[in-house]
Amino acid sequence: MRRILKEPLLHFLVFGAALFLAYGLLQRNGGSREPGQIVVTLGQIEQMAAGFAKTWQRPPTTEELAGLVRDRVREEVYCREAMALGLDREDTVIRRRLRQKMEFVSDDVAALAEPTEAELEEYLRTHADAFRVEPRFTFNQVYLDPQKHGADLASDAAKLRAQLEHAGAGADLSTLGDSRMLEPQYTDLPLGDVAQQFGEPFSKALDGLAVGRWQGPVESGYGVHLVYVRERAEGHTPVLSDVREAVRREWDNARRIAANEAFYTELLKSYTVQIEGLDDTGKAK
Amino acid sequence: MKYVRYTTLALALSAGSLSVHAQESATTDIGTTDAAKLGKSFPAKPPYSPYAGRNFPTRPFFGDTHLHTSYSMDAGAFGCRLTPADALRFARGEEVTSSSGQPARLSRPLDFLVVADHSDNMGFFPDFFAGKAELLADPTGRKWYDMMQNGQGAQAALEIIGAFSQGKFPPALVYAPGTRPYHSAWLATIEANEKYNEPGRFTALIGYEWTALDKGNNLHRNVIFRDNGDKASMVDPFTCIPPQGSTNPLDLWKWMAAYEAKTGGSVLAIAHNGNLSNGTMFPVEEAFGKKLDSAYCAERAKWERLYEATQTKGDGEAHPFLSPTDEFANFERWDKGNLDGSQAKTKAMLEFEYARSALENGLKLEAKLGVNPYKFGLIGSSDAHNGLAAMEEENFFGKTTPQEPSPERINATFMNNPKTGVTIRDWEVSASGWAAVWANENTRESIWDAMQRKETYATTGTRMVVRFFGGYDFEATDAADRMPARIGYTKGVPMGGDLHAAPAGKSPTFLVAALKDPIGANLDRIQVIKGWLDAQGNVQEKIYDVAWGDAEKRKPGADGKLPSVGSTVDVGNATWSNTIGDPELITVWKDPAFDPALRAFYYVRVIEIPTPRWTAYDAKRFGVKPPAEAAMTVTERAYTSPIWYTPAK
Repeated sequence: MRRILKEPLLHFLVFGAALFLAYGLLQRNGGSREPGQIVVTLGQIEQMAAGFAKTWQRPPTTEELAGLVRDRVREEVYCREAMALGLDREDTVIRRRLRQKMEFVSDDVAALAEPTEAELEEYLRTHADAFRVEPRFTFNQVYLDPQKHGADLASDAAKLRAQLEHAGAGADLSTLGDSRMLEPQYTDLPLGDVAQQFGEPFSKALDGLAVGRWQGPVESGYGVHLVYVRERAEGHTPVLSDVREAVRREWDNARRIAANEAFYTELLKSYTVQIEGLDDTGKAK
Repeated sequence: MKYVRYTTLALALSAGSLSVHAQESATTDIGTTDAAKLGKSFPAKPPYSPYAGRNFPTRPFFGDTHLHTSYSMDAGAFGCRLTPADALRFARGEEVTSSSGQPARLSRPLDFLVVADHSDNMGFFPDFFAGKAELLADPTGRKWYDMMQNGQGAQAALEIIGAFSQGKFPPALVYAPGTRPYHSAWLATIEANEKYNEPGRFTALIGYEWTALDKGNNLHRNVIFRDNGDKASMVDPFTCIPPQGSTNPLDLWKWMAAYEAKTGGSVLAIAHNGNLSNGTMFPVEEAFGKKLDSAYCAERAKWERLYEATQTKGDGEAHPFLSPTDEFANFERWDKGNLDGSQAKTKAMLEFEYARSALENGLKLEAKLGVNPYKFGLIGSSDAHNGLAAMEEENFFGKTTPQEPSPERINATFMNNPKTGVTIRDWEVSASGWAAVWANENTRESIWDAMQRKETYATTGTRMVVRFFGGYDFEATDAADRMPARIGYTKGVPMGGDLHAAPAGKSPTFLVAALKDPIGANLDRIQVIKGWLDAQGNVQEKIYDVAWGDAEKRKPGADGKLPSVGSTVDVGNATWSNTIGDPELITVWKDPAFDPALRAFYYVRVIEIPTPRWTAYDAKRFGVKPPAEAAMTVTERAYTSPIWYTPAK
């Protein structure tokens, strides 16, 4: 980009456009009303050209740049006239945009804060749940559709469980159960993924199952399951070095919210607010 | 490999032939070293784990490719306060406070999100501190920095703003070498995406919306990057205002090509809301005054890989006028006019607005011009403008900030154009939808690649799982296999794929399966929708019911029509029960009327049993009376990307 801006050709174009513009303004300078002065600076033209180049991956042609400049002048004229007429006042869109710009500034300021190691440690300690490494499970499951088994569901499940217990860990599951979309085995699945695929009641139940034997029926959003947990990797609270990026991200976010709130509170201090029809505490008079 | 016909548990139990047996102990231990050993010794038996070496997607990832935040001019004007970072936090499953001050949280996290703010007027903001080193080097900057570190951040902010607005800002800070005087909302968006993208857990794809409006007609496209911020930040998004921008899609495609050429990156575009384009979304004769030619078709097919077939502003799969025999076509319909209601709809426009008719006309254009411009896959997304991808019926946060949950929203007016008489009520806003993507991994590259190959489907807000494979060799027994996906990928192509010349005497066969949302409603039926170009060059379509719930007692009538699944919805209490329909449906279907000489496409629509619509939850929770004409139930559904058949030349 910087290289583009240093192109002699570009400088020539910019200069040409500026001349063109100045000439145009002089030509129009004939009315009785004292004209306002509009100066499109080289810096602004450079910025327009850079914006164009960033969109199109090439510098603008002479005509394109002249078009951008003409448009800029038109925008400037309209903006000044509109503001002179007070059209910027009581405009929801403009007001919200201005508020948003203030928030951008305040975000910027908040983003400058550098946490100390101790602050991050403290944040991790006080928000341990948010950073907990989930337990992971490798398990087999056999699904029974309650609608298919009706009143026999419990006894069918009990019978099947007895058979599975007999077969143990090596039970061939390829013919069992009522589902062909749910898999007989899930490997190293984080608890959250289990919840995504089976619903939360099932994942909660799974978290409580012992390893190494057939258990169930366990209920899910689909029906009931017999489950064999093969492996369980325990969840734990990580040390900071393992989750520094995430802690920093959350710390930044918390800091940003607090800073913005403080900023607003500070600004508010320089105003007295009176709301007609309401008393100081916000209650109707 | 031999595939055995598996019986259900009930049959196995009654036959007393439960095939449960203990495996040899050596094969019971699942581990990579064992699998490797087995692989080296070329065992007679396959490895114990049928998943070893599996390289196809095992579950769909659900996300939203079209979410606006306060960085969108209109969203901000409507009162949205949430930023891209807030939107990403919400999609990841965190609780956030909505712009209307209400706590909001998803029932379960999404897997991915594209914050797609409007590129026009996205905004530039003074960037005070592009370079922190310069800040610390400057005495004033140092003072501010120390104030911030000492808890006087608010005071520092005031001083900074004051200095800037009075022109007393230390020039060294703003114009230091390598710093930028302004940072754009675009760069801020990229930064948020980089922060919250977590490969393997949550994907934050970089994107924006190019909001082309031609005389009030919606030609919008979302542009999605495969790349990280280093490449995406090398460009500014394409806008609509000339000379920099344009409302002609041809120019957007030029921008996309320029981005790829410059950065070596990859982008794709997804159009949406043809229903509000008044006949201009899927042209067949001309676009922007220029006759369609093969170059237009090729460019469109190259860049517009997907179409957003359902969202808050109405469903775009099919229209009852175009498909009068389709009893499910009249769904969440928005067909009163164009985007701003400045022109009312005429029936002649409809053909060029809906996904199904576009897929059909695409065949026609391919026959005429050699390239099918409308060979797109399908996804759904929200287009919410409040930073909240909350499209669950019982947890619907609306399309805009004023439409966040309140007793008033059910009776409010979304849009009213007195000149044309086009009025849309808030109750008509649809709590829809999601993009489901069959990707191998939850990463930017993997999800984008799956979008590019169209291995996707749209849902109207449910997270049902849908598989769809086409080939010439699927047999009925394949539907009984415990791993349908393995057979699907082995013997056919997945959704979004192509079937080439049919072997002599063979017809296309399809393995199709659906599994209900684990916390959602049962399934009513699976349908295959076939579109083709007949020998006279006319488009045709036919809908086949191929699998349905309660099949033991629910049989098609003499007219071939499947009876309704019924309804368990109690609208007053906003409840339903899964006592009808099935949790899972699977079948192999063979096209009974295949003509190898004719171009065709096939896609799948899966319909859920009726459930309460968001309006029913609102009426119940707020105790309000809905308008008499408001829809209070919904049959959520999924639409897969098609599989195309192209005859040999």
